[in-house]
Amino acid sequence: MLKTIFLLPVFIFCSFLFSADQAQSSDWEKIMQKARGQTVYFNGWGGSDPINDYIRWAGDQVKKRYQVEVKHVKVSDIGEVVSRILAEKSGGREHGGSVDLMWINGENFSTMKRNNLLQPPYSQLLPHLSLVDTENKKSTLYDFTVPVDNMEVPWGMAQLVFLYDKEHIKTHPKNMGELLSFAETHPGRVSYPLPPNFHGTTFLKQALIELTPDRKQLSRPVSESDFDLVTTPLWDYLDKLHPHMWRKGTSFPANGSEMKQLLNDGELFIALSFNPAEASNGIATGELPESIRTYVHDSGTIGNSHFVAIPFNASAREGALVFANFLLSPEAQARKSDPAIWGDPTVLSMDKLNREEKNMFQSIPQGVATLSPEALGTVLLEPHASWVEALEKGWLKRYSR
Amino acid sequence: MASGSVVQEQAVNEKLTDETMSLILDSLQINLGGSELFSPVSLTVEAGQILTVMGPSGCGKSTLLASICGNLDPGFSLSGTIQLGDRILNNIPMEQRRIGILFQDDLLFPHLDVFGNMAFGLPSILTMEQKRERINSALAMAGLSGFERRDIGTLSGGQKARVSLLRSLLAEPEAILLDEPFSKLDKQLRQNIREFVFQQITKLAIPALLVTHDADDAPEGNILELKNGNYHA
Amino acid sequence: MGRGIGERLAQKIQSLTFLMVGQNRNPLQFFPYLTIAAFLAPIILGLVGTWLPAFGYLPIIGADDFTLQSYRELLAHPSLPGALRSTLISGLSATLISLFLSLWITAHLYGTAFWSFIQRTLAPLLAIPHAAFALGLTFLIAPSGWLIRLFSPGLTGFVFPPDWATTRDPLAISLTITMIFKEVPFLLLMTIGALNQLDIKRTVWVGRSLGFQKFKVWMRLVIPQLYPMLRLPVLAVLAYSLSVVDLALIIGPSLPPPLAVLIDRWFNDPDLSMRLIGAAGATLLFIVITFFIGVFIVVEHVVAMLTRPRLLNGLRHSWWGQMKSTATLAAVTVITTTGLSLFLLSLWSVAKNWRFPDALPRHLSLFYWTKSLPLIVEPFLTAAAVGLSSAVIAIILVLGCLENELHLSRSKIDSISQKSILIIYLPLLIPQIGFLFGIQTIVTNLHIEGSWFSLIWVHLVFVLPYIFLTLATTYRNYDQRYVQVATILSGSSLHSFFRVKVVMLTKPILFSLAVGFAVSIAQYLPTLYVGAGRFATITTETVSLASGSDRRVIAVYALCQFLLPFLVYSLAIWLPALLFRNRQLMKN
Repeated sequence: MLKTIFLLPVFIFCSFLFSADQAQSSDWEKIMQKARGQTVYFNGWGGSDPINDYIRWAGDQVKKRYQVEVKHVKVSDIGEVVSRILAEKSGGREHGGSVDLMWINGENFSTMKRNNLLQPPYSQLLPHLSLVDTENKKSTLYDFTVPVDNMEVPWGMAQLVFLYDKEHIKTHPKNMGELLSFAETHPGRVSYPLPPNFHGTTFLKQALIELTPDRKQLSRPVSESDFDLVTTPLWDYLDKLHPHMWRKGTSFPANGSEMKQLLNDGELFIALSFNPAEASNGIATGELPESIRTYVHDSGTIGNSHFVAIPFNASAREGALVFANFLLSPEAQARKSDPAIWGDPTVLSMDKLNREEKNMFQSIPQGVATLSPEALGTVLLEPHASWVEALEKGWLKRYSR
Repeated sequence: MASGSVVQEQAVNEKLTDETMSLILDSLQINLGGSELFSPVSLTVEAGQILTVMGPSGCGKSTLLASICGNLDPGFSLSGTIQLGDRILNNIPMEQRRIGILFQDDLLFPHLDVFGNMAFGLPSILTMEQKRERINSALAMAGLSGFERRDIGTLSGGQKARVSLLRSLLAEPEAILLDEPFSKLDKQLRQNIREFVFQQITKLAIPALLVTHDADDAPEGNILELKNGNYHA
Repeated sequence: MGRGIGERLAQKIQSLTFLMVGQNRNPLQFFPYLTIAAFLAPIILGLVGTWLPAFGYLPIIGADDFTLQSYRELLAHPSLPGALRSTLISGLSATLISLFLSLWITAHLYGTAFWSFIQRTLAPLLAIPHAAFALGLTFLIAPSGWLIRLFSPGLTGFVFPPDWATTRDPLAISLTITMIFKEVPFLLLMTIGALNQLDIKRTVWVGRSLGFQKFKVWMRLVIPQLYPMLRLPVLAVLAYSLSVVDLALIIGPSLPPPLAVLIDRWFNDPDLSMRLIGAAGATLLFIVITFFIGVFIVVEHVVAMLTRPRLLNGLRHSWWGQMKSTATLAAVTVITTTGLSLFLLSLWSVAKNWRFPDALPRHLSLFYWTKSLPLIVEPFLTAAAVGLSSAVIAIILVLGCLENELHLSRSKIDSISQKSILIIYLPLLIPQIGFLFGIQTIVTNLHIEGSWFSLIWVHLVFVLPYIFLTLATTYRNYDQRYVQVATILSGSSLHSFFRVKVVMLTKPILFSLAVGFAVSIAQYLPTLYVGAGRFATITTETVSLASGSDRRVIAVYALCQFLLPFLVYSLAIWLPALLFRNRQLMKN
């Protein structure tokens, strides 16, 4: 009798849990139901054939399983999409917008969030969100130090890595100082993308973190620090670096992709990328020769996450949610992290997966050019978002003449 | 003519055999910006008759023809009447006047062969057989049998001139205007073609107006001298 | 002769318009008004939509005062002086050099056997989209490019590519050269059209009989008559060169880039307030272009005035006239370079990997072809549909306007609509980047974005001027007496128009259709801005891929992009040849 009285609250509590769970899953059921037959226009960078293939695969999967059609709208710059959404907002288009899901990064996210261009918090609806490694991968919660607040869905991890050809380079630089010496001994073989391209800006941030005397300043807004004091070592460094750079610093590659191309052409000896498996993926597709390898700096390199987000006026909101949830699934994340397919690291936590799911990840051959998680070293945190604009402006002022 | 009905077609045929029509100009004058191009023209051309119009260059001979045929530039103003048979033509559009015109350039359509050029003006109610029959007999008469499928570009100057005339006449105009049609032909050819043209016109019994600056072209000395008006170009 | 469907339709439309305007009024008068409305509206609205933000008015981001702040920020921007410098250097030199080369080639080579060869190659030269050509050319002349590879390491000793700035050089020389290679064929096309209107053979004959060297005849007699007819195309080339974006992104200087690229970057900046500066920059570019158009016109008259005495100096020889071989060299260079860039693109499309210093890829593979072709079908067909629709609509509008013009000139009425036809050329002279931003806003406001209707319409805006430009001179040159004779014979002016005039003009009509089609294919920003992501054309796919790194897949898409205008040009040349194979006089 007493047992029953004690067990009753337990039962009641469990049934609450159960029904809460059921409630959430029945919410999700409703969303999946509504999503059936919808067409999701997924706007994202289309410059990489392997990535486009992956997105096509993911689209085929959700079509088969959930009857959601995904169309990949390829853009060369996500800024075009932001402009379009802005134009729609100014035209009073509160519903039926042309973008259902977009591939987004930090700077654009903070703009869109600030200007109310995104849906009110929604990622908590996704069942797979609970698998995300929010404990160790803090950048899934803070995008360029701006709180995500469930307004975008983490998709992959990024870390700044350097690519080099081991046929030409026996010892690679281990920090910015050694990069400078390398450039001096190999003039014209080192460069970085032109700011304000985000690869280029990240290089500046990396250099700044390594060279500045007081790193703590960077986590505060730029207005609260002495910009000149903090950045002088950076400008001094660049002043020394530029004359030994590719084209003597009078011209810069447009983005990370062009650097990759120049690496393959042999004009550059060192390229950079945000995808630690970029080199392996390049070797797998034949775009890069087999001698390409990856390295990071000893003190660590900057890392962050990239996301997908649903604009405020998406026409196929439920379809977008279903697609985003699929992109978060262990199956999709595992396939994505395969260097032969894309190589983009997962946002999921291995601890939250069951054995079968964990196996999906562990069975993937990492590729000879990919660094192991240990070798990738420390992931440095991004500076506060306000530093980006300040660095870009400073750089343009000094070098864009 | 292409939109004529069977009844109209028969009526036209009857007209040709029963009545013969004359072209009458009564005090025809053309003004440009208040000045007269030439002094008023009054004439009658009987069926089968060819009247030659001569005059100094620039006095408006071609404009006169244009006004009769219905292709006067709207900037000009016309006074007097143009009459063909019992129809006053003044306000009738060019398509409906049934007056043919021949220029010094043959203006044969380069994309059609001889047959195509000649068939262009035939009424659409005729069957292909009927069209072929008419064209073949016309070609035979001109000494061009077997030329139906020839490409215009392969014809000589004289052949082109003959085809051009045949094309105009096959459309059965009620009158025909000739704007220096022989001036591009050499002397020998000129005579042959001239004779052929006059022969056909007489046979068809339609009035004709010929503009030329060469007195040799005029048949039987039937000449009208166009006098300059007070218009100075 | 039987009546075709088109003719029956035209007759119905004619009777309808007669009903509306009365029998005696001219039904053709609608055409110029229709045409002007078709795109004057989008352009004006687009410009306004760009000028307002330039003055600080973009309410959606919270900017709703009119200020000059954006202009101040623009003028204070560190990249502006350099951007203006590279814009002006590349834009002005490309125009002047292209003009010079076209006239030089024409003056020396007109009438020679080589000239007819040049005429035959014009179509494929024009068919290559600008970006595809630039991609091939970049690979040709880059320090790790094909030319260097040919001689490395053998002659040059290079094991690694040299650090030369042959592409993306700060002075924009490589960009200028790229533009010249595309602009010379265009100007040659315009020159040929203009020359058909002048009696060249006789002029040269008279001049030579007076003792003048052939080259001198060209300089003294022909070109002074020719240039006024080239004026508009030259100004169009000027406006294009000063505002080009896609070529500059591929091969232009990066630090700082030309102004148009900067503007494009500002419009896409994550920081929304940069759009105000972008709009200010677009306005500045518009002013710069207008200013230089004016300068060109003034300079033309000054040069004409200054050289008039020289025209009459009776000098019969000039040693410039002996430089025929340089003209041949110039023409050969243009033709071979364009051919080479196509060749290199083809090589890349079948390369497995291709490293420096190999002159040819070590391993070949059809992988990217077999993979991409099924995916290309839909964008390919979309582009073809939009291109054909806009080109055909444009042809109809242009024919209507030209016929109306004929009617008006006969009446000697100096009607407003005759002069206002010049407005058709407006899209050629205003930078795209200057009004597309505004068009996007308007199209979104009207809820017509992402529709076939608005997409074809925006393409029409750019296609129509080119069709007018290429068709007008030939059309105006037509001997209208053919129509007069045909009308008298058949009793119907409509019948005569379709069965005689249009048929006789088949070749020029089809050719300008091909030109218009190629213009539509080349459009990227309009499709993007107005298509709202609903339309993937072969061009949007190619440009998006070109922002990536894999030359192999980029080459496949670029070649497919080239295929479309190439097919239409081929049709425009072969179809009349086929139809009129037995008609000697139609072969001109």
